[in-house]
Amino acid sequence: MYPQQVHHYLKEFFIENDCAILGEENHYLTVQLTIDIDKRIMNRPFYWQYVEATNSEPNPAQVTFITNQTAIASNVFGEVIHYGSPRLNQLFLATRELGAYVQLFEKVDSDMGQVILTPWLGVNFKVSYCCDRTKETLYSLGINLLTGVIKEDFHETICSSEFDTEPADNVFHVQYIIKPIRALERLNDTVDTIIERDDHSWATEAQKRWQRDQRVLDYFYEEVEDKPECYEIEKKALAEQYESKIKIEIMNGGLFYLF
Amino acid sequence: MKIERSSEWGEGFINRLTHLEKWQSWTLYKMNYDIVKMKLIPEFTGLQATKYLPNLKPLAHQLEAAETVIERMNGKAILADEVGLGKTIEAGLILKEYLIRGLVKRALILAPASLINQWIEELNLKFHIPAIAYKKNCPIERYDVLIMSMDTAKKSPHRERIYEQDYDMIIIDEAHKLKNNKTQIYEFVQGLKKKFCLLLTATPIQNDVFELYYLISLLKPGHLGNYDTFQSAFSASKHHLEHDDYLKELVNQVMVRNRREDTGIEWTNRCVQIVPITFTQAEREVYDMLGALENTGSFSLITLQKEMCSSKEATALTLTNMLEDHVQSQEIEALLTKLMALDVNSKAIKTLEIVKEAQDKVIIFTEYRATQIYLQWYLHSNGITSVLFNGKFNKNKRDYMKHLFKEKAQVLIATEAGGEGINLQFCHHVINYDLPWNPMKLEQRIGRVHRLGQEHDVHIYNLAIENTIEEKILELLHTKIDVFEKVVGDLDAILTNFKESV
Repeated sequence: MYPQQVHHYLKEFFIENDCAILGEENHYLTVQLTIDIDKRIMNRPFYWQYVEATNSEPNPAQVTFITNQTAIASNVFGEVIHYGSPRLNQLFLATRELGAYVQLFEKVDSDMGQVILTPWLGVNFKVSYCCDRTKETLYSLGINLLTGVIKEDFHETICSSEFDTEPADNVFHVQYIIKPIRALERLNDTVDTIIERDDHSWATEAQKRWQRDQRVLDYFYEEVEDKPECYEIEKKALAEQYESKIKIEIMNGGLFYLF
Repeated sequence: MKIERSSEWGEGFINRLTHLEKWQSWTLYKMNYDIVKMKLIPEFTGLQATKYLPNLKPLAHQLEAAETVIERMNGKAILADEVGLGKTIEAGLILKEYLIRGLVKRALILAPASLINQWIEELNLKFHIPAIAYKKNCPIERYDVLIMSMDTAKKSPHRERIYEQDYDMIIIDEAHKLKNNKTQIYEFVQGLKKKFCLLLTATPIQNDVFELYYLISLLKPGHLGNYDTFQSAFSASKHHLEHDDYLKELVNQVMVRNRREDTGIEWTNRCVQIVPITFTQAEREVYDMLGALENTGSFSLITLQKEMCSSKEATALTLTNMLEDHVQSQEIEALLTKLMALDVNSKAIKTLEIVKEAQDKVIIFTEYRATQIYLQWYLHSNGITSVLFNGKFNKNKRDYMKHLFKEKAQVLIATEAGGEGINLQFCHHVINYDLPWNPMKLEQRIGRVHRLGQEHDVHIYNLAIENTIEEKILELLHTKIDVFEKVVGDLDAILTNFKESV
């Protein structure tokens, strides 16, 4: 993420969360945080506890974020923020919490007359393969709540569309036939199938590394009758190091009424 | 295979469907997706950490070391780069990588007390890893990355507290302190669970090959066989290694060692010279008398002779202590009188000569506090300013002394303990006033100035008094370096080629 991207991201985040931008140049941004955002990103739970306990006037922070330190004039004071900095990670986390669930109706031209929108459930899954190494894949799946048809790369197909949060007057949205919760189960099954069909030589390799290390360890204690405690500790460490597992996590998702 | 599925999102989804909570913004939804995609780890291999550290500019050999440790050594390794090549950076990169990949949640770092602040600073500022120093009564179960001194960790009740925690990664700095399997710290580390583990040391062998054996057996027990097989295969005699190549190969499977010349960085030269010194007649007499002492009690003759090669002040201190022990008081009192009557220190004279000739900043290393103070006085009476330095100084005092040396004084006189953890690239003359028994200590000393950032050739003067114990030390240093080179690899010039010069 380049400094410009960070800058753009910050601006979008703050505007979207009703934080007033008080000043902006190419390389920095001054914002007035709202109470909610201050709580989410400023790391001062004690302050907020105090304010709430004493009923005093809340005073959310005003912050200047410097997005490109190298280009900035020296008279600007603020917090340097870049990809990898703790503050940005907090903003990412806040974004994740605030952008996890949507219900949206596709925008259609009002001159198109009466329009029917079809309900879809879209869900973005992150699948992590873990042993002593990791690899992650993102699967974006959508399921038509009338027909049960499942589409891959769902997010890519809708991300450039425009949506309303309420259906417009001229649209008629069909109620779903497949219940969203049931649809979610189907998508979960689909992800399972995708995983099943995938190449899992990574797990076999990890297993081999594990066995190799276990043999070395056993050799070390070969002639010891009563294995000492550290043998068990080492053995446990090897299991934790090499045991392969798969984590499935839903990043976000929602109901989309599509034209 | 184990599949972990988080149900968290589903619960929130139900809350929205039943109108308990509000739906959220499409813009933030898209932003969230883009971030997830951007942060995705697309491959098992390769480093992600560099993307998150735009301000860190790791060198090629540091990146390579990090990749090797993760991909070829599966996260258990000895980082044995020569002094000054950035082992801390390598360790930081590896830790960061595992944190990003979610393979390490909690890490414990053990370092000498004097280096703890440096670790905290580097990890927090360079790597954005929120590392915290251990303090008594601090809630360590809440700290994900904890740094503490080995000396504290090995003792009760700290030891038990650490054992209660569940760390995914253990990093041990200056790991050569674990060369002896009979020590408390060794046992402590042995009892720690080591899922991922890094041992940092520039000097994996200091005296003999068993030190390396113990170090590796801590990291990966069995990798070099058990003790008996190792002993029969590799140590017909401690200093003659039979299966050098085989052993070297095994060692290289768990050890990364970069040498200055492998780094592709233009390093300045090391000009090492042995400076032979001749005792005056009077000094020689005292030296020989010391050698003839009998029944010295708990004090060894070698210590006394070594001290005599340093200064009469150092010698006098030990002799006085012996008097208090009531050993052979008459003989010693006579010796003391003779010693105190000495008015010339040949080595100090030579040192002054070198300092004057250098016309530049010089670091003098001595093993004795008494010599340190004497040298300061001696240099001062010859119009040369100096500051003292030792390892017991706290961080502020160290920084201040370093500052004084840089700005005000020509000479820094350090005792052994001053060797680790200070960086003095602005200086390029090192006088080893006394020689340590251990070649790696010499390397540590030289490493203070000959490291990244040094712009000049570095001049090293090893002082040795002819026909004394110091010549034997030189010889022994050479044998030890030989063992090191056979198993671990070449060493930069520490001593100059003594063999050729003899």
